[in-house]
Amino acid sequence: MNADVGFWILQSLNALQLSMLLFLLSIGLTVIFGLMHFVNLAHGSLYAVGAYVAAAIATGWGYWAGFFLAPVAVAATGIVLYLGLIRKMRRSGPMAQVLVTFGLIFVLLDLTRILWGDLPLAIETPALLQGRINILGIDYPAYRLFVIVLGLAIFAALAFILGRTQVGAMIRAGVDNDAMAACLGINVERLFFTVFCIGCALAGLAGAVAAPLLSVAPDMGLQILIPTLIVIVIGGLGSLKGAIAGSLIYGIVQTFGAVIAPQMASVLIYALLAAVLVIRPMGLFPTKG
Amino acid sequence: MFRHTTFRYLVLAILGAGALFQAFSAGYFGLEVLIEILILAILVLALDMVAGFGGMVSLCHGALMGLGAYAYAMLSSIVGLPPLAALVGAMAIVGALAWIIGAICARSHGIYFIMATLAFGQMAYSYIFQTPIFGGDDGMGGITRPDLSAIGIDLNDSRSFALFCLAGLVLAYLAAVAVLRSGLGRSLCGIHHSEERMRALGLTVWRVKADIFGLSGLITGFAGALAAMHVMYISPGLLDWTVSGEALVVVILGGLGTLVGPLVGAVAFVILKHELSAVTPYWHLVVGVVLIVVVLSRANGIFGWLEARIGARRIFPTHAAVKKVPNDA
Repeated sequence: MNADVGFWILQSLNALQLSMLLFLLSIGLTVIFGLMHFVNLAHGSLYAVGAYVAAAIATGWGYWAGFFLAPVAVAATGIVLYLGLIRKMRRSGPMAQVLVTFGLIFVLLDLTRILWGDLPLAIETPALLQGRINILGIDYPAYRLFVIVLGLAIFAALAFILGRTQVGAMIRAGVDNDAMAACLGINVERLFFTVFCIGCALAGLAGAVAAPLLSVAPDMGLQILIPTLIVIVIGGLGSLKGAIAGSLIYGIVQTFGAVIAPQMASVLIYALLAAVLVIRPMGLFPTKG
Repeated sequence: MFRHTTFRYLVLAILGAGALFQAFSAGYFGLEVLIEILILAILVLALDMVAGFGGMVSLCHGALMGLGAYAYAMLSSIVGLPPLAALVGAMAIVGALAWIIGAICARSHGIYFIMATLAFGQMAYSYIFQTPIFGGDDGMGGITRPDLSAIGIDLNDSRSFALFCLAGLVLAYLAAVAVLRSGLGRSLCGIHHSEERMRALGLTVWRVKADIFGLSGLITGFAGALAAMHVMYISPGLLDWTVSGEALVVVILGGLGTLVGPLVGAVAFVILKHELSAVTPYWHLVVGVVLIVVVLSRANGIFGWLEARIGARRIFPTHAAVKKVPNDA
């Protein structure tokens, strides 16, 4: 019985770790959508760029340099994309946005292949986080625990910034009604730009965090995109609460589904998504009525 | 609503003549390229019906096509139906599934519709991938082509099969035109312009959307069965969401909501793909850049751009030749 409990704790931790990784990605995507009504399918590609940058820097200067520089590099990529492309696409319909960012996926995918080749790169977990930590009676890899703690810390920081500070109030006002927020003297354009950069930086951070867990391959951006989209559609586009709820739901369904009913696991999550779309077409925690 | 103009007839005639010329003159490789174009053309025709005329931007048509291929393979090799019956069965299955997806997604709009169809497409992909009877990752082989030897046609010959696909494309095109000209098609265009108005007029909006989606699925299933016959081997990769994305790219490249444009797009896309992949392994990069440029140019694809230019110069009579496509889908 004891071993049984340990097994479920282990699975819960795994679910939590997956959820936190997805949260880092989906929060950027969902807030960008909520604020700018912009659908960025290339968000997953930015995550792949982050992972590659982290892997490239890690081979020279160690893991932590990559960990801190990858978000900066990805935010810089995001700035280039914003100024060159996305600013022009703001007023277009969702179809044009989907197509342009779909084209961007192709471009970024092949650019990473040209720069780093087709073979997957492996990156070592940092020395500080190697080994296992005993938690709740089971041994759990320290690095995975670090991912969970990092995700929760970022969630707490974002919840504080969005809920308790003036900038947060401005962002919420912008999500709610950008024209009205602009009338009240908020520089909505600059706010958009800042939020877009932070969203990109978080995608880069997610890439750097995921790099030691998964192998760094050109198609990793495509593979993570669908789960991220599922998370934000289940949660409701534009809200922090939706992003965390969606991430947890996805992580739990995916992990426990694989344990309880391996045959049905991946179909289950899509069925859940379809059910959410039918019953609550705007997601579980929509920002707008 | 869909109308033929002189210019559209002209482009159709050029495309048809080109296809016939290619079918009779090309060698084996040229015929393979032609067949690829013809099957893709049927798929994008079906996609343009829903996306161009109904504003239902679907990211599950690739998956529907894959389901058509699997349905054909299952019906012909496992159930043991004759190939032509399996073809009809595959179309019916995909049409029914598409009707259900359309009915469920009818309430969603814009990005939510795109996501919902994406979800259904991925659901189909996972199901096929994980169910042992479909061969999982290994796919299925040993698919047969219909036997038309009774009327003296051997479909295992590439040239005959290319002509078979061409006949299929012509039928699919005529069917799409007939649907779009019918009352149902006109209702769909009305919904695309203003859903509230059509609802106020007493129309059951979701039924119209579901019916069109189902009919589009029927054509998509046809394309899928042809794809299975063509390669004689199928794998879950057919259902991947990037296939749906590429189909959408082809529609945009050609011209959304023109029905003729996507055919032009299919020709351009397949030729571009073959020419580029011969030169560089990074042909996706070029396709991505072309796509971004086409969307940013705000022209309605290659065909839409030509049509607008010609409409402006009044070379041909232009009663509603340039159908303006609202961009706020």
